[in-house]
Amino acid sequence: MAVEVWLLITVVLGFAMAWAIGANDAANSMSTAVGAKAITPKQAVIIAGVLEFTGAYFFGKSVTETIRKGILDPTMITDPNVLIYGSVAALLAATLWLIIATKFGLPVSTTHSIIGGIAGYGIVYAGTAIVNWGKMTQVVLSWILSPIVGAIMAYFIFKALTKSIFERRDPVRSARIWSPFWIGLAFVVIGTMFYIKVLHGKDLKTGVFMYGVPLGIVVFFVTYVLIKLRFPSSDPFIGVEAIFRKVQVITSGYVALAHGANDVANAIGPVAAVYAVATMGLSGMQVPVPKWILALGGLGIAVGVATYGYRVMETVGKKITELTNTRGFTIDFSAATVVLVASWMGLPISTTHTVVGAVIGVGLARGVKAINKNIVRDIIISWFITVPVAGLISAAIFKFLMIVG
Amino acid sequence: MQVWTKLFAKSPFKPLIKHSEVVLNTVETLEKALQRWYDGDYEEMRKIAVEVDRLEDVADRIKEEIRDSLSSKLMMAVAREDVLIYLHMQDKVADAAEDTAKWLLIREPGELPVEVKEVILQMGMESIKAAKLVHEAIVQMDRVIESGFADGEISKEYEIIRQIESVENKIDGLDTKLMQLVFENAEKLSWGDGFYILNIARTLSNISDKAKDAAERIRLMMNK
Repeated sequence: MAVEVWLLITVVLGFAMAWAIGANDAANSMSTAVGAKAITPKQAVIIAGVLEFTGAYFFGKSVTETIRKGILDPTMITDPNVLIYGSVAALLAATLWLIIATKFGLPVSTTHSIIGGIAGYGIVYAGTAIVNWGKMTQVVLSWILSPIVGAIMAYFIFKALTKSIFERRDPVRSARIWSPFWIGLAFVVIGTMFYIKVLHGKDLKTGVFMYGVPLGIVVFFVTYVLIKLRFPSSDPFIGVEAIFRKVQVITSGYVALAHGANDVANAIGPVAAVYAVATMGLSGMQVPVPKWILALGGLGIAVGVATYGYRVMETVGKKITELTNTRGFTIDFSAATVVLVASWMGLPISTTHTVVGAVIGVGLARGVKAINKNIVRDIIISWFITVPVAGLISAAIFKFLMIVG
Repeated sequence: MQVWTKLFAKSPFKPLIKHSEVVLNTVETLEKALQRWYDGDYEEMRKIAVEVDRLEDVADRIKEEIRDSLSSKLMMAVAREDVLIYLHMQDKVADAAEDTAKWLLIREPGELPVEVKEVILQMGMESIKAAKLVHEAIVQMDRVIESGFADGEISKEYEIIRQIESVENKIDGLDTKLMQLVFENAEKLSWGDGFYILNIARTLSNISDKAKDAAERIRLMMNK
């Protein structure tokens, strides 16, 4: 078969995978806001669709590069067909495993699946030496660390948030000052990430002090004035929740953006690899990911949100009754920060698992009334089995394609 | 993949409050029955006392439902054992109210000395006050969790618990007074009258006893 045909096949597979990510994962990114009744499922679909696309298109590049050429040593692949069959095998394996796992109700990560798939075909082709174990260790470590960091961060943010607002002698007064502070802080991170991801700034310090902090301060004053003019209630609990309900729409959007930036790579990393081979041959390893592929992934995710994500969000909206707006804010803020920092470092981490970590963090701070321990256990199990299982499936498909092709 | 819908387990607190509402309803109905009893309107009293029995059944059913849903697979803001024992105690409050209603239904009191009737009514009112405070305490507990265990909300909760304990103390005093009254009026009362009176008193003070036990559990929930 001609290389162009294979490219077309990977484009279709990549789009399907992006659709699946949009249908399931992306819906999760807005779940806190829907669960806390800050927005309706319909609004969530629109916001998530737009922001996931934006995240994927503008910020998805560095993680895509890791998936494309960071996991396997490119110099060890001498036959262009290997890269093509391997990418197809990895995509197919990840999608298959996602379908199987979904059937059994296992919450598996798309990120873990695709990396398992890539490692799987690589090992079959050239043995374990082809895997960039340094990068792989870093990636796996980030999977373990990101939920833990998410949990620790959410724990302290929630503690600090309640201490600064609800525990004061005059809660309404402290809510007026501290709510803008927390909202401002969220925007410090958003601003910093804007500098790094959109403007491709390299210096974190510049990002924090030139973009993050000024934006945070502006947001602080704007919110301060708005709240001063009209605090929604004389009851600090109701008042604070009402304020955070509005802010939560923004922080949830921030999670959607971060998710798009990080997870688009799972679908289009392999597509980009095949594209490079198709246009440049093996020297294509040096070619950057073209914008249209990022757009393809972003569009796939957005379509997934629009066509199927709606149903997911509706269930979520009905089921999560335990989430107040301050908790939703804490979870969003912590998870998005961890995911964005990771995607800035080019680490493909699992958004879902980071969010789960943040939920547990709020739970440990005694903020969430009840968490299902079984699900937490299932997630941990899925970490350990996803990579090898996706790897095995991918290896089998790859072997088959090598023989047939 | 929809981790979200599964990760959050159903919190036991809303159902606990629902159960508490029924218990509150039970004791409030008993309060009405007791008032009729004191006024001598026995026919009306009977109707209300039967309602107490029915409400206690409703509370029982909710209790079973909560127990079934509280598996050990939950990570909760409070210990599961505390919740279960608390639920048991809260349910006992309704049980005690039902016991009193049964004694009220068992016979017409005939001519009891008015001071005896007064002490019983007073005991009833106080005991029921304790039960009402338990409802306040569990609603406040929900708020304690809502606030992320804020000190201010915890101290409000302690204040309610303290009130329950002081009401219970008062009833112990009334109980002694009633026993004395029964023996002072020994000539005017039959053996059956005495038995009847002391049992009503025992079941009434049971209401506040159980209310106090429930309050104790709430205290434990806060210092995990």
